[in-house]
Amino acid sequence: MATRSDRTGTAVRTPRDPAAPKAPPGDRTGPGAPPRTRTRTRTRQPRLWTWLLLPGTLWMTGFLVASLLLVATLALGTTDPLGNPRFGLNFANLTALADPAYSTVLLRSLGYALITCLISLAIAYPVAYAIALRGGRFKNLLIAAIVVPFFANYLVRMYGWSVVLSDDGPLLRALRAIGLADDSTKILQTGVGVIAGLVYGFVVFMIIPLYAAMERMDTSLIEAGRDLYGGPLRTFLFVTVPATRQGAAAGCVLVFLPAMGDFVSAQLMGGPDQIMIGNLIQDKFFQGQNWPLGSALTMLLMAVLFLGMLGYLRRTRKDEAEAAR
Amino acid sequence: MSTQPRPSTPRAPSPQQAPSPQEAPSGRKDGSPRQGPRTQRRRRRGAERRPRFAIAVTALFFLLLYLPVGVVVLFSFNAQKSLTVLDGVSMRWYTALLHDDVLLDSLGMSLRVSLVAMAGSLVLGVALALGLVRSRSRLGSFAGLIMLVPLITPEIVTGVAAMLLFKGLGITLSTTTVMLAEITFSISYVTVILRSRIAALNPEVEEAAMDLGATRGQALRLVTLPALLPSILASAVLIFALVFDDFVLAYFTTGVDPQPLSVRIYSAIRFGVQPTINAVGTLMLAGSIGLIVLALAIPRLFGRRGGLDLLSGK
Repeated sequence: MATRSDRTGTAVRTPRDPAAPKAPPGDRTGPGAPPRTRTRTRTRQPRLWTWLLLPGTLWMTGFLVASLLLVATLALGTTDPLGNPRFGLNFANLTALADPAYSTVLLRSLGYALITCLISLAIAYPVAYAIALRGGRFKNLLIAAIVVPFFANYLVRMYGWSVVLSDDGPLLRALRAIGLADDSTKILQTGVGVIAGLVYGFVVFMIIPLYAAMERMDTSLIEAGRDLYGGPLRTFLFVTVPATRQGAAAGCVLVFLPAMGDFVSAQLMGGPDQIMIGNLIQDKFFQGQNWPLGSALTMLLMAVLFLGMLGYLRRTRKDEAEAAR
Repeated sequence: MSTQPRPSTPRAPSPQQAPSPQEAPSGRKDGSPRQGPRTQRRRRRGAERRPRFAIAVTALFFLLLYLPVGVVVLFSFNAQKSLTVLDGVSMRWYTALLHDDVLLDSLGMSLRVSLVAMAGSLVLGVALALGLVRSRSRLGSFAGLIMLVPLITPEIVTGVAAMLLFKGLGITLSTTTVMLAEITFSISYVTVILRSRIAALNPEVEEAAMDLGATRGQALRLVTLPALLPSILASAVLIFALVFDDFVLAYFTTGVDPQPLSVRIYSAIRFGVQPTINAVGTLMLAGSIGLIVLALAIPRLFGRRGGLDLLSGK
């Protein structure tokens, strides 16, 4: 029991539940605590714990919240003739975003990020399925083998991936050998290359939540599906996928967020005509020196992602409401 | 009862089974010496059929996952400059690395930044996590909210924001600004990891310590923190590795010289490929993989639970 609760990360709750079902979860005072201790903790607890909260909160407010607010305000600013940013109340940057050049890039970023999500799903489902249901005692080892390289330097991995995908790299050579590609086939400098980079960079974010969902899934459902004459594909589509859709939704958010903001993949795998919104932002801050416009683009990115998050939250809330019923 | 397993027998030739290629081989190979009526055994096996397709995709995925890493490692030992043809084994690029002062400066800076960010985010993050779990003040819900911001904001946004803040305050970008930004970014990770661990602790142990005369501060120092030590160590190692490898935030907050190693690698990759990068990359890969394995292993070294549950997800 102990190992089980440890694995799922939900801690000591399970072993105690049958013994004290009426104790509300989250009650930390303990039902049997004598009144004397209780009054003592009541008076001292808030002060110490609140003091502990203070430095971190101040730090995060000062560096994070303030800096994000600064981006939002600068999006309404202007640049003076010398190129220095000036604060103001100017909507020119926001209207400039309507420029078709920007909307093309935004749509491309959205499209690439969505395709990245779909491909990641297509990879993560079989991988998570195979490991969660057939991994046996190698489960944790296999998952660690996926997670560990993901923590290695993003640039080095991307660079290695670009070497693999290069015109005379191992992948294209292998494809040519089996006749699936000819000499003119290219992966780098195309949209395919950019998406391949994004998938390689973020597919782990899809595998982990899906794996967690599959682990939690009641496998007798799959057997039931088979017993009811579902073929492997039908059982998968009508049993496994619905049972793990929350994991898939979480994975999609976790892949979509960084994929939208990424600028390394488009730079290394794509060309000048494959840039994404991240490259635009980077360009406005480093080459163009137009910080207000860069800020406006950053806010645009945030707005798109915020809408996506809202959709996800509504979805999960609906799921939770259904589960609670 | 007896009619239920019956239909399993005609299952094999049924049209539904026809398109599934995994049926025939798995049915035979898995044949364990288990006894039982024929029909029942068959149904059993049907349910435990090996998902060949999923296993094949997984194998291919692992191949593609490790191919780029393998290529970097392999070509770091290449005697020639080529990135496509292996031409003898040599340590040439590693010795070149030893004489590359710019890269060594960057390495030193990355190490300093990682150490400072690790220490800073641990102090702030552990305190914040304790406060978040135990305090019921309104500050806690605010802190819990802003702590999540870095986790759901793409790094490019936090990077741009940090850079604007420093420039706005008139601070020249330097090693210090990278450190400040990395601490901000790491606090969230420390807090998320430790929060669940603290919630899992039994608060009655602390109360027992106080009943025996310890003050709340002493109980925290002598009881709670030692119990959290494996998790704290594991997140320390994790933060070190994450900060050392971080690129986006470092890219936006670094000054001219020295630059963090990952930023240096970025410019090297952009402006023509240099084989030294393979050597640096190999060392970085080895370093971060070693650290992550260590972070995963720490709870086991302590012989108790309460370390880093990377695998159970957030």
